[in-house]
Amino acid sequence: MAEEILEMKNIIKDFPGVRALDHVNFALEKGEILALVGENGAGKSTLMKVLSGVWPYPTYEGDIYLDDMLVRFENTREAEEAGIGIIHQELNLLPDLSVAENIFLDRQPLNKFGGIKWEELYHNAEKVLARLNMNIDPRTELGDLTVGKQQMVEIAKALSLDTRILVFDEPTSALTESEVNELFTVINELRASGVSIIYISHKMEEIEEIADSVVVLRDGATIGEKINIDQVTLDEIITRMVGRDINDLFPKKDFQRGEKTLEVKNISVPDPFSPDKKLVDNVSFSAYKGEILGISGLMGAGRTELVNAIFGVYGKKREGEIYLNGQKLKIKSPADAIKNGIALVTEDRKELGLLLDKNLVMNMTLPSIKKFSSKMAMDNHAERTVAEKYVDELNIKTPSLDVFVEKLSGGNQQKVVIGKWLITDSDVLILDEPTRGIDVGAKTEVYRLMNQLVEEGVTVIMISSELPEIMGMSDRIVVMSEGKKTAELDRSEADQETIMKYATGNKGVE
Amino acid sequence: MKKFIKNNGTFIALIVLVIILSIASPSFLSSRNLTNLIRQVTINGIIAVGMTMVILLAGIDLSVGSVVGLSAVTVTLLMQAGLGIWLAILITLVGVGGVIGFFNGFMSAKFDIHPFIITLGIMTIARGLSLVLTQGVSIPVTNMTFAVIGSGYIPKLPSLIILVIALALGIFAVFKTSVEIRKGEKVRNKAKLTVGIILIVVGFIAGFYAFIGYQGIPIPVAIFAVVVMAGAYTLRKTRFGRKLYAIGGNEEVAWLSGINILKSKTMVFVITGVLSAASGILLASRLNGASPNLGDGFELDAIASVIIGGTSFMGGVGTVTGTVIGAIIIGVINNGMSLLGINSFYQMIVKGFIIILAVMIDVLNRRETA
Repeated sequence: MAEEILEMKNIIKDFPGVRALDHVNFALEKGEILALVGENGAGKSTLMKVLSGVWPYPTYEGDIYLDDMLVRFENTREAEEAGIGIIHQELNLLPDLSVAENIFLDRQPLNKFGGIKWEELYHNAEKVLARLNMNIDPRTELGDLTVGKQQMVEIAKALSLDTRILVFDEPTSALTESEVNELFTVINELRASGVSIIYISHKMEEIEEIADSVVVLRDGATIGEKINIDQVTLDEIITRMVGRDINDLFPKKDFQRGEKTLEVKNISVPDPFSPDKKLVDNVSFSAYKGEILGISGLMGAGRTELVNAIFGVYGKKREGEIYLNGQKLKIKSPADAIKNGIALVTEDRKELGLLLDKNLVMNMTLPSIKKFSSKMAMDNHAERTVAEKYVDELNIKTPSLDVFVEKLSGGNQQKVVIGKWLITDSDVLILDEPTRGIDVGAKTEVYRLMNQLVEEGVTVIMISSELPEIMGMSDRIVVMSEGKKTAELDRSEADQETIMKYATGNKGVE
Repeated sequence: MKKFIKNNGTFIALIVLVIILSIASPSFLSSRNLTNLIRQVTINGIIAVGMTMVILLAGIDLSVGSVVGLSAVTVTLLMQAGLGIWLAILITLVGVGGVIGFFNGFMSAKFDIHPFIITLGIMTIARGLSLVLTQGVSIPVTNMTFAVIGSGYIPKLPSLIILVIALALGIFAVFKTSVEIRKGEKVRNKAKLTVGIILIVVGFIAGFYAFIGYQGIPIPVAIFAVVVMAGAYTLRKTRFGRKLYAIGGNEEVAWLSGINILKSKTMVFVITGVLSAASGILLASRLNGASPNLGDGFELDAIASVIIGGTSFMGGVGTVTGTVIGAIIIGVINNGMSLLGINSFYQMIVKGFIIILAVMIDVLNRRETA
């Protein structure tokens, strides 16, 4: 029996209105690689934030034991000092500094005048890097390294802090295949040297390859006990991850599928940061009148990038063709897309959807200001009338048309964004995570609205990370993984396990 | 009442300033002094109207002072070369103001460079050009018609008629707004309406007293008034103005809503360039010639007027009316301190403090509402 290094007991973490973690229990042994899996929003990141002191005690309930000693971190520094390190999905490094400076940031050896002892710094860095068998000159500027090498630097930084528990949060999302192999070698060596590892990933094959055991989180709670990887199949893990019934939250209607409207062929978007990778990789699909097309996939699968590409966000960098009603479109900017009858409700309504310190009218008429102005002057009366009509129709709760939209609740803000695009009278309405962060009542209203739009002949495309939502509302589902389309499923053949399989890049059996 | 003071801080500050100065210096309130004061304001005020739009986009234009200088030099040289007045003015407006403005706007928007840097470069380039063209010395122009533009007056009777028409239009506008409020089409607070009425009446009385009591409306003031009205109308009523507020509010959101950022930004800098050129021409006319250093430091007064007038440096919030009040405050401070015999070196110090104070008030107000 190996000794337990970490135990988290009955962890509860509440956010306003939501319980993010609900009695989470798990234990980590010395030299173990434990995979932590779950859907988006299952609570993995929150749990790791509790562990690493981002959420200090007592903002959570429950106990954390390190080497059988109760610990209560008040900040991330204390967690670091106790030997807990995290390698984040987004690297936490400074590209303009040298590798050595990044490893020993704020901890450089100093001489008595407060100057940095450079030779000692480089020497120390070399020692740490040697532990990883990494042949990197510590004098190199970090930005000159590949993403994979930069990640190694981040690991070296954690090791230099005498880290005993190292958390990897989706470490391979930006890596090439050979870099992934290199990373796995390092992880295995770390395990051999006694470091315990928590490995968070969506990718099932990776987990099968690297992990010793698995803990599944769903809706903020651990599902079952920790299981040894040899005693479980991937399908069983996936079932644990999704095992939920679709309740009658979704007022799905049966539609009659009409003619083909939007068709995109071979859409690709290069990754601006690494030229040999693609954010969207050769995706083609069609959408029809009289149906809701769902786009599913895990975070970072390239869904948002795909619809942004269609909407003209990437300008000339987008490859591929877009047809609407058989007509090939030239879309070089969002203005072109709007002109051609395509509307996009962006995922981040606060940063990309709304002018927060402007009123409802101005927000709602912005994409269609041409309609509300003759020659030069705005027709304030006309735009107010229309805004008022949509406030009524969408049941937007607001004291008046003149309040700043930042004062509205999340659900009502979302309705303003949707209203703004409805006013454009577009043929195609793309909704990116339309129900994120809004309450259940507002969600149902958004679903009903989608139904109504389909009945009015609008082509509706919805991106969602929530499987029940995708399954509950879509007639057809495109699944994406790592920028590629991995499946196109009919409503009848789509169950959560199947979608999850394709979303994790696991082709499974046909 | 507290809210009323907060919303109209600059306007109240202006009134307080006027009261203090009229007590401290008896000649401050003379018709002659007021006419001169307003005429001095116009040069800065015309630029500041353009600057309002630039800052509304969270941008800045440091080149306006140099454009004033280069335009004054250009128009003078063109006339020396025998060109007709109107042709010389047109070439200067388009060739100097328009071209420089286009360059400023296009470069900063197309390549996403902060306009601070582009306009800083242009500021030096344009100043250098003025020095090259004049060989560093002042150049005269002797043309009576040209001189009238900058120093002439509209005769008293037409001036009176213009003032009365302006008063009538103002009252009509307020009346129309109040009808709209009653119909529920506009939810503006009553206080704003009251301020509107006060502003119109005070403006009329001041205009009547200053201009009719002296020699009529100075022609630059009339030009300024037209620029202000056009600017205010553009921002409040036009599609273009709406786009500017949207871009200033959140450029990304505006772009995703189909607004052509490049076009709007370039347009704003062109407008500012042309207005600065107009200011330079007025100055050349007033001085009967140009010196290459003309307009030096004007960008600071223009920016200060905009900021004092309540336009947010973060973009998205601001009005031309506010800027006009800001410009008048700066004019009153300059004029008042000169009358009191305060050394112009000290004037700079006082002005600096007032700018900081205005921004502080703006920031604190914002924090309170947030």
